[in-house]
Amino acid sequence: MKFNKPIKVAISVLILIVLLLMPKWGSDRFINIFILIFLYMSMGQMWNLLAGYAGLVSLGQQMFIGIGGYTVAVVCQSYNLPLWVGLIVAPFVCTLCALIISLPIFKMSGDFFTIGSWIVAEAMLLFFTNWSFVKYGFGFTISAGRVLTLTHRYIMALILGIGSVLVVYIALRTKFGLGIMAMRDNEGVSKVRGVKIYRTKLNCFLISAFITGLAGGAMHLFDGYIQPYAAFSIDWTVTMVFMVIIGGIGTIEGPILGAFIYVFLRQYLLNFPGVSMLIFGAIALIIILLAPKGIVGLLQDRTGFELFSVRRSIKAPKLPDKPESASQNT
Amino acid sequence: MAILSVSGLAISFGSNHVLKSVNFELNETEVLGVIGPNGAGKTVMLNILTGLLKPTAGSIVYMGADITGKSLYDRGRMGFGRTFQIPRPFEKLTAYENVMVGGIFGDGLSEKAAGSKASEILELIGLYPKAGVFAGKLGLLDRKRLEIGVALASNPKILLFDEVAGGLTESEVVEILNIVLKLKADGVSFIWIEHVLKTMLEGTDRVMCLAQGRDVVCGLPAEVLASKEVSEVYLGADEDE
Ligand SMILES: Nc1ncnc2c1ncn2[C@@H]1O[C@H](COP(=O)(O)OP(=O)(O)O)[C@@H](O)[C@H]1O
Ligand SMILES: [Mg+2]
Repeated sequence: MKFNKPIKVAISVLILIVLLLMPKWGSDRFINIFILIFLYMSMGQMWNLLAGYAGLVSLGQQMFIGIGGYTVAVVCQSYNLPLWVGLIVAPFVCTLCALIISLPIFKMSGDFFTIGSWIVAEAMLLFFTNWSFVKYGFGFTISAGRVLTLTHRYIMALILGIGSVLVVYIALRTKFGLGIMAMRDNEGVSKVRGVKIYRTKLNCFLISAFITGLAGGAMHLFDGYIQPYAAFSIDWTVTMVFMVIIGGIGTIEGPILGAFIYVFLRQYLLNFPGVSMLIFGAIALIIILLAPKGIVGLLQDRTGFELFSVRRSIKAPKLPDKPESASQNT
Repeated sequence: MAILSVSGLAISFGSNHVLKSVNFELNETEVLGVIGPNGAGKTVMLNILTGLLKPTAGSIVYMGADITGKSLYDRGRMGFGRTFQIPRPFEKLTAYENVMVGGIFGDGLSEKAAGSKASEILELIGLYPKAGVFAGKLGLLDRKRLEIGVALASNPKILLFDEVAGGLTESEVVEILNIVLKLKADGVSFIWIEHVLKTMLEGTDRVMCLAQGRDVVCGLPAEVLASKEVSEVYLGADEDE
């Protein structure tokens, strides 16, 4: 199964039009589900950029959800600024935090990053629950989002979801992205070939903090409420891991599919409180055993199909004119 | 003129004194063969030269400047290129992309320049028809060629080969020899480690034998291979096996 470029572009444009017009025909419930899908998609995409490409298995992504959310809350509620100010400031605050914590947790091996990111996230939780300025563990209401209609929210989520896919896609198509993929395949050799490992990983971490922070900000703005135990819960990262693993780690399509599966499953499993985590766990386990590369990875192995190909193909040298065509001209 | 001169190079891993004192010079556009029994420290020496390992003593002078303290990255940019004894391509990148990595990160080329250079190199190493194949799916000869290609893309002045001919058939070795001759004409110098002595006889200008952590003998290939030092070293090694 081979799709050429025009067909891929046509399919993508068609999907985009359908998605853009959804508020015209979708039910409120349906649109709400898609808002969640897009928000989770951006989070999954970022966890995948780290774990699937940069070899950085983060267990602390919830810190960016929390900081992003709290930044929006403080900017819009405590300082009474418009909501777009909050949404602009939030990702930058998260990126700055990522830059600061990268100094200690990047210095050591990969495992240290995993544990280090988790410890920092837990420390953030503790800090926020003890900080009077953000009302300790009680949390607070964010009323700025009330002016947003469902369509507004949907379009914002859509931009975030599609945007995160494009960011990863474009990043992988650049020189920087070739370095990321070389590093993913073999870190030691990529270093010998001149890839700057530290800088490459740091850039991935900063990008992921930026977009995850934005997603956290939007999520809490839409919820209208933030509370540290939920905002800094490791459940966020567990969800990201789930989406990426079942969708397909190290692929752009994986987290997209993973977000759809996760959100639809969650809607359905709401009817079974208590056992839902068990079911998620079982599904993840089955997928890991049957298709270790996830659903998209399995499909790609079978069919070679990639919707977002980051392959660079060789520019074929100009072939000399064939004699027939030359004779036709005369 | 010597492009590289190494003196008193030594390295120990705990109580394992792998290199005690290695001394040699490499001239411009020369192919210096390095032989020695298994475990003599040939790969370790190459790792020191490229900056992957730090020597415990000794100095490396490259084009008149002491580079003993320079990093792996700096040396790559200065013109050191290498292959790995066991080919280590980026398996989920195509052959073409693998070579591009060498050009972009080893030589600071733009994506476009690296692309056209990669095409040229693939042509040279005979991998052009397999440009779009994932490196993980290539056979041994193609992987060895690709190692050379990636190293070459970084525009090296010195190429360090670690047993590129090992495991290849005679006609495949001839192909590698031809590539070396072509590059030599372009001004590249070589340090070529090989376990197969015959290849050394055909492909090198001088041969150095490494044993017991020292450069036991160095000179014209035919003379070195016939020397009593080398026969002692290899006989000794044979008795061990
Ligand atoms: N990074 C390392 N740490 C400890 N010992 C090493 C390391 N690299 C090589 N050695 C040891 O150095 C010796 C020489 O190895 P090597 O250079 O690979 O030999 P060869 O001449 O066959 O290439 C071996 O005894 C090996 O165990
Ligand atoms: Mg070796």
